[in-house]
Amino acid sequence: MFLEILKMAGEALFANKVRSFLSVLGIIIGVSTVIVVVGIGTGAQKQIADQYKNLSATTIMVMKQMGRDAVSSSKLAPEDSNLIAQNVANIKDTTIFISGNTTVAYGKESASLNVFGNYVNFFDIGNLELASGRLINEEDINAKTKVAVLGSGALVTLFGENFEASQAIGQSITVNSKKVEIVGVLKENGGSAMGRMSYDDSVFTPYSTAEQTFLGKTAQMMIVVLMNDVDNLKTGMEDITALLRIQHKLKASQADDFRIFDPGSIVGAAQSSADTMSLLLVSIATIVLIVSGVGIMNVMFVTVAERTKEIGIAKAIGAQKQDILTQFLAESVILSIGGGMIGALLGQIIIPILNKFEGWYVVPSFSGVVLAFTFSAAVGLFFGFYPALKASKLDPVDALRSE
Amino acid sequence: MENDIVIKLENVCKSYFLANGEEIKVLKGVDMEIKKGEFVALMGESGGGKTTLLNIIGCLHPLSSGKYFLQGENIGEVRDDFTLAFIRNKKMGFVFQQFNLLSRLTALKNVALPSLYAGVSKEIREKKATEILNMLSIGDRTEHKPTELSGGQQQRVAIARSLMNDPEIILADEPTGALDSKNGLEIMEIFKNFKKKGKTVVMVTHTAEVAKFADRIVYMRDGKILDNHYKLKSEY
Repeated sequence: MFLEILKMAGEALFANKVRSFLSVLGIIIGVSTVIVVVGIGTGAQKQIADQYKNLSATTIMVMKQMGRDAVSSSKLAPEDSNLIAQNVANIKDTTIFISGNTTVAYGKESASLNVFGNYVNFFDIGNLELASGRLINEEDINAKTKVAVLGSGALVTLFGENFEASQAIGQSITVNSKKVEIVGVLKENGGSAMGRMSYDDSVFTPYSTAEQTFLGKTAQMMIVVLMNDVDNLKTGMEDITALLRIQHKLKASQADDFRIFDPGSIVGAAQSSADTMSLLLVSIATIVLIVSGVGIMNVMFVTVAERTKEIGIAKAIGAQKQDILTQFLAESVILSIGGGMIGALLGQIIIPILNKFEGWYVVPSFSGVVLAFTFSAAVGLFFGFYPALKASKLDPVDALRSE
Repeated sequence: MENDIVIKLENVCKSYFLANGEEIKVLKGVDMEIKKGEFVALMGESGGGKTTLLNIIGCLHPLSSGKYFLQGENIGEVRDDFTLAFIRNKKMGFVFQQFNLLSRLTALKNVALPSLYAGVSKEIREKKATEILNMLSIGDRTEHKPTELSGGQQQRVAIARSLMNDPEIILADEPTGALDSKNGLEIMEIFKNFKKKGKTVVMVTHTAEVAKFADRIVYMRDGKILDNHYKLKSEY
């Protein structure tokens, strides 16, 4: 009997096709928005997670203070690194490197790439893995050899797509017009600890060689400290700050002449801002759904008013209040679930289209569909209930008298 | 015999209250007995309370005071929707002046509707609806919608609907009011036949020509029964 009443409700809706469609338009838009928005949120999260997958959460970086807050005396020295290694507790490893942009060329191809001058343990701290060849070793540092290890992006930039990493080993390139031999190529790494400065698009050379030959005095020096545990990150940063302030002979009134930060918190910040964006968009879609619910309620009131006589007839021939309630509630739920289905479908169509655009990364998510669907059904039940209740409570004689 | 009394009303009153609180007394103490198988016509002036009385008998209205015995049981104080809906569904069949068919549904589905609310399966109720429509000689119109039927045909469909759950009582409010006299007389022949099947018929009419089909005419005026055995003037 419930199914039959459901069927009657469906037929009643079908008899008013245009009105039914218009009343669910809001639900369709709301649901498809929720699905797309949840997809965008999931995509952003995944992108951030992918980008920083090799980033160690226990990393602390120290660099020279730059820009507005720069102090003229601001300069880090290699001694600072040793000092930190010797005096700060709970440190797993520490290294120092210099980096800067310079022209790197292979044959006719040339590009301005980020060049690192680093020590051997840098690759370990940065979770950089070798795809082919070898890494820079102690001997290179001591002998100031002119060798380089390429990031995966740098390989593509210089040698083009589809160039085997192994084929690059032994090739000669020029770094800042100096001839250098490629001894190794790295696997793709993703984002680096320094935000936009990607390890993939970099060239790694021995610290000593870079300092002397490729980069000179202009290079930016950075100290990387790897703590043994995330819990020690905060105290580690405080200890390093205190130590460097003493070392740099800063007075209490003076600001730090260096900048210290933990890249892990950047990831957290990026993730939380992506979360905030998702939440904002989902809120808007929710408002759309609620407004569309009010629309459905309005249409249901009109429908009840229009079919008052029908309700009177149904009561006269023996329909219970419950039957009338069920029928009108079924109509609003069918409307909203139907709208939900169309919206879900629309969302699945929109997502691949959005992904065709540059810079869009939307992941179709099952949870989005479930969320949108549940919500739309709830909207139908909630906003359909009052009109249906009103219909069921109509006095049969009054209802029969209406035209 | 007391057992033969299907409907018994004792001092039934019905009042309406206007928005300003004013009380309008529509029925002012109605006493009435209707026997099983009787065909009773309610006549009287407009506003005399005929339709209100019919609606009370049909459990569409609650009574303000008095007693209503249906098959010996006092149901005048029953207010719960389930019981009242059950009585309307199983014990009564309504026939209205304006037919009151659902325009969206076919004749067959209209006729079958009371059984839907009674929870009868689709197969059984549509078989029965077809039988009744055949019996009323409109078996060839089952798939037509009300708008595709003439007034006489629509009223036959409405009568078929009232018979769907085999009620013991048929209540008719001016069943011929919207029909021409030929169709009206045909409808009255159908009503006359109900008597043979043991059904009790209560019909509101203001037409003597229609009322003469009844076994008995009850004449109402100003919310009271003036005459329980009213005699029509001889010219009808």
